[in-house]
Amino acid sequence: MPGKALFQKTFTIKKDDFANAGEASVQIKNILKDVGFDSSVIRRVAVASYEAEMNVVMYGGGGNVRLAVNPDNVMLVVEDKGPGIPDVDQAMQEGFSTATDEMREMGFGAGMGLPNIKRNSDDLKIITSPDSGTRLEICIRSSVSGTEEN
Amino acid sequence: MEQKKTKKHSLQIDLEKCVGCVLCMKACPIQAIRVRNGKAVIDDDRCVDCGECYRVCPHDAVRSQTTSFHDLKRFKYTVALPSPVLYTQFGREVSPNQILLALKKIGFDYVVDVAWICEKVNAAYRLYIEDHPTPMPMISTVCPAVVRLVAFLYPELADHIIPIDVPREVLARELRSKISRKKNVSEEEIGVIHITSCAAKIVSINNPIGLSKSALDGAIAINDIYGKILDVLDEVEDDEILQQSSGVGIGWAASGGEVRGIELHNCLAVSGVKDVIQILDELEAGKLKDIKYLEALVCPDGCIGGTQVVENRHVAKHRAESLVKMYGERSRVSLKVIKRQYREGYYTLPEGITCKPLPPLDIDPVKALQKRQRIEEIIPLLGGKECGACGAPNCKTLARDIVLGEAEMEDCVFIKLHTAEHK
Ligand SMILES: Nc1ncnc2c1ncn2[C@@H]1O[C@H](COP(=O)(O)OP(=O)(O)OP(=O)(O)O)[C@@H](O)[C@H]1O
Ligand code: SF4
Ligand SMILES: [Mg+2]
Repeated sequence: MPGKALFQKTFTIKKDDFANAGEASVQIKNILKDVGFDSSVIRRVAVASYEAEMNVVMYGGGGNVRLAVNPDNVMLVVEDKGPGIPDVDQAMQEGFSTATDEMREMGFGAGMGLPNIKRNSDDLKIITSPDSGTRLEICIRSSVSGTEEN
Repeated sequence: MEQKKTKKHSLQIDLEKCVGCVLCMKACPIQAIRVRNGKAVIDDDRCVDCGECYRVCPHDAVRSQTTSFHDLKRFKYTVALPSPVLYTQFGREVSPNQILLALKKIGFDYVVDVAWICEKVNAAYRLYIEDHPTPMPMISTVCPAVVRLVAFLYPELADHIIPIDVPREVLARELRSKISRKKNVSEEEIGVIHITSCAAKIVSINNPIGLSKSALDGAIAINDIYGKILDVLDEVEDDEILQQSSGVGIGWAASGGEVRGIELHNCLAVSGVKDVIQILDELEAGKLKDIKYLEALVCPDGCIGGTQVVENRHVAKHRAESLVKMYGERSRVSLKVIKRQYREGYYTLPEGITCKPLPPLDIDPVKALQKRQRIEEIIPLLGGKECGACGAPNCKTLARDIVLGEAEMEDCVFIKLHTAEHK
């Protein structure tokens, strides 16, 4: 995480808390609106943080999101102490999902979360292992153009 | 015609009646109200006219500025365009046709069954969505409060607003010139009046979004005209047929009506301001991409739950459902005609949605970020009781106001108490 962002805040994400799931990403989005980011940047951050948050709720057993904002970039570090992702390349494929029937009934499990995070970020680093859980480092720059929204 | 002085919003605080309690401020879903010097103040740039403050005020201090029946005197020829909600406000024995005839009896020269146009607009929605597969979902323009929510708070979603105008405007545009020719009155002498379930429609007439000028001249509240209609219902003879609508158009009165009429798979109806906001948040997060059309109405259960209605909304909903059954779920509109009109732009929203996103904390992004950080630092210093005694709806909003220089730390009663004790 870069040393001194002008704005920093940590959000806690609870395990299996579907009722409040998505709360952190709504708050993150509202912070960026307060700062006056371009709507395309806000939308990319909203999508990426929501998908990352949901994965922590569903697979990561809870964790946190650290938000760091500077005028030209938004960093999200999303961490959990869950089981880790055994095969990252496979998980990154569109349509790959290990969602349970219950999750699917709630509209999750399309296997689009990680691919959407990738598509909406300028940099994505995934560090994962069975011992230490999963850590996503997402960077979205505000000056770049031509990045697809999804 | 003399242009009346119009306020930006339909909802206004009556300063004589307002006692400065925190109820409206707390009820506002977008934190647009503060209590300053013992009176509630609505932020004009933020308010979307959803009516939550109006509902909650126990002192009758939130006024809704609708057109009065008296105002009609300034027109030579008057046209009534009643919301389908009006049909749900009377007993079982009263038919939509009788209600339309009653409007004539109380003085309107011309009365149109708007529910019928709702069915045509419904078909236009379908044609538009078939022509434009993305973005998904398209959002209804029917509720002015929803259009304002998007324009002010969710500008990212502006391209989801379906560029098809609402039935009342489509109709008013056509009627004015038509009647002017037929009846030999000038267009200015014709008063085209909507009979409305809510205050938000007034704003959409006085300060439209998506069109430079509304084609309507005003909106009379259902609860203002109800008694007049009731008085003449007995005298109405069912000798003229004004109702053309089927159950499809009448069904627009309640949540789910547009979705019923659009006849496409995967459309969603949401009602109630909190739920609407939640769904807009989901859209912004990229969810609900499989939904083709989103009917969003800020009032609970849709327009039958509007602020200016008479009947209990559950009773009205039940009534709407029976009317839908009675008049059938098959629309009799001519698709051929609608297709031609659609191509000619008859249903098109005259202008695009112009967004007015709320200003950032500071135009300088560095300062804005510093201010945002400062808000986070102030929050834990405040009382944390979310009481509203400071004049802001919650502690977080007070922190924001402090950073913007609109409030002080000492406005928090707990801080004030603490300072007093340590003097
Ligand atoms: N934080 C995590 N910890 C453990 N496994 C994870 C984590 N995030 C993702 N995964 C694994 O990667 C798979 C793919 O994730 P992705 O977000 O792309 O799709 P999904 O969550 O299954 O479905 P969708 O996001 O479309 O609802 C998941 O099914 C899960 O097996
Ligand atoms: S839901 Fe209907 S009655 Fe309520 S504000 Fe919107 S348009 Fe008006
Ligand atoms: Mg996922």
